[in-house]
Amino acid sequence: MQARNAASDRRKIIVGIVAVVVVAAAVIGGVLWTISSRNKTEGQAINPDAGTSLAADVVQKRDGVVVTVGKPGAKATVDVYADFLCPICGTFEKSNRQQIEQAINNGQLQVKYHMVPLLNQRSSPPGYSLDSANAALAAADAGKFVQFHDALFKSQPEEGGRGYDKAQLTQLGKDLGITDPKFAADVNAGTYNEQINAAFTQVSNDPALEIDFGDGQKGFGTPTVVSKGQVVKWQNGGWLEQAIAG
Amino acid sequence: MLDTIGTLARLGLAAVWLVSGAVKLADPGQTYIAVQAYDVLPHGLVGVVATALPLVEIVLGLALLAGVATRYVAGAALVLLLVLIAGIAQSWARGLSIDCGCFGGGGQVAQGQTEYPQEILRDSGFALLAVWLLMRPRTWLSVDGWLKGGRGNSAEPEHDYSGVAEGN
Repeated sequence: MQARNAASDRRKIIVGIVAVVVVAAAVIGGVLWTISSRNKTEGQAINPDAGTSLAADVVQKRDGVVVTVGKPGAKATVDVYADFLCPICGTFEKSNRQQIEQAINNGQLQVKYHMVPLLNQRSSPPGYSLDSANAALAAADAGKFVQFHDALFKSQPEEGGRGYDKAQLTQLGKDLGITDPKFAADVNAGTYNEQINAAFTQVSNDPALEIDFGDGQKGFGTPTVVSKGQVVKWQNGGWLEQAIAG
Repeated sequence: MLDTIGTLARLGLAAVWLVSGAVKLADPGQTYIAVQAYDVLPHGLVGVVATALPLVEIVLGLALLAGVATRYVAGAALVLLLVLIAGIAQSWARGLSIDCGCFGGGGQVAQGQTEYPQEILRDSGFALLAVWLLMRPRTWLSVDGWLKGGRGNSAEPEHDYSGVAEGN
């Protein structure tokens, strides 16, 4: 009897120790992995080179929270509403950036960029959408909106993950050749935050900008591309040619 | 026979938790979004829950797989399932249109594409497995069985005479 109890106690101790070790390893390992995975962008420098090459006479002008990019006299205009964190916007940029740039360089197209903080809560910690939109407007003031915008989309952070902080955004501006101290000041102070949020509220309630998500649900989403007063199905090839044509 | 049912319930539930936890662990960003979409936790807790939940699921899964403290683990699993069902029910009631994110995915979906009743039914099914194990934790091939002195899982309760003094 006593031998059996001793064996049974010993087994319980073994199980207890193994259980504690396994759980501790699983929890510690799991937490470290999860946090490092969500914080992938920490300490990273944003690559400033996104292959942007605008012609010298392309004008980039900020008006409120909208940045218009194009050659004076370009006949066609397209409005693009996007969020820097939005993965589908990243896809849109990847597939359309070069053709859009070409159309701008050819003097055929003006693009009005509206950066919206639609997914502001979807970064961890929240706030990347707004910070990046603000920084891009500050970059517009320094004449480098497109380069900044393209760089952010090329190295787009993951939804649900960390985004880039203000220091990284400021460094990107510096790496793009922005020397005016106003840029860093604007990025850190969130100078355009209020305007961006106000514009976003207006835009998300605008029935003319609604897109159809399928199954009857409509609403504002990103990216939204508008040409000639109509929301365009950019997923179908040929939308750009149609926009440029008279 | 009842032991066999219990064993299947235990291993089935273990698989559920291990798969569910592993899928979430593999994509922490997506898990964060899934938890956030329920719109029920204060902001500061979203990250904590998104980090902890997959780990809790995996630990429960491992414990069930090994058959350690089956009754208690089944109880914990039941509590977690009830919390998850409540979470899904509250988003349904509030008219949110999200995917529960139970096996990956998660976040907003188009309104016609929510599957709340299916998700609740499925989780209730898992809860029934947990209830069985809570009431009758005896199973084959378990650490619990090994701890009982390797007698297997005989149907009768063991007779333990260790309290009787020697020589009587």
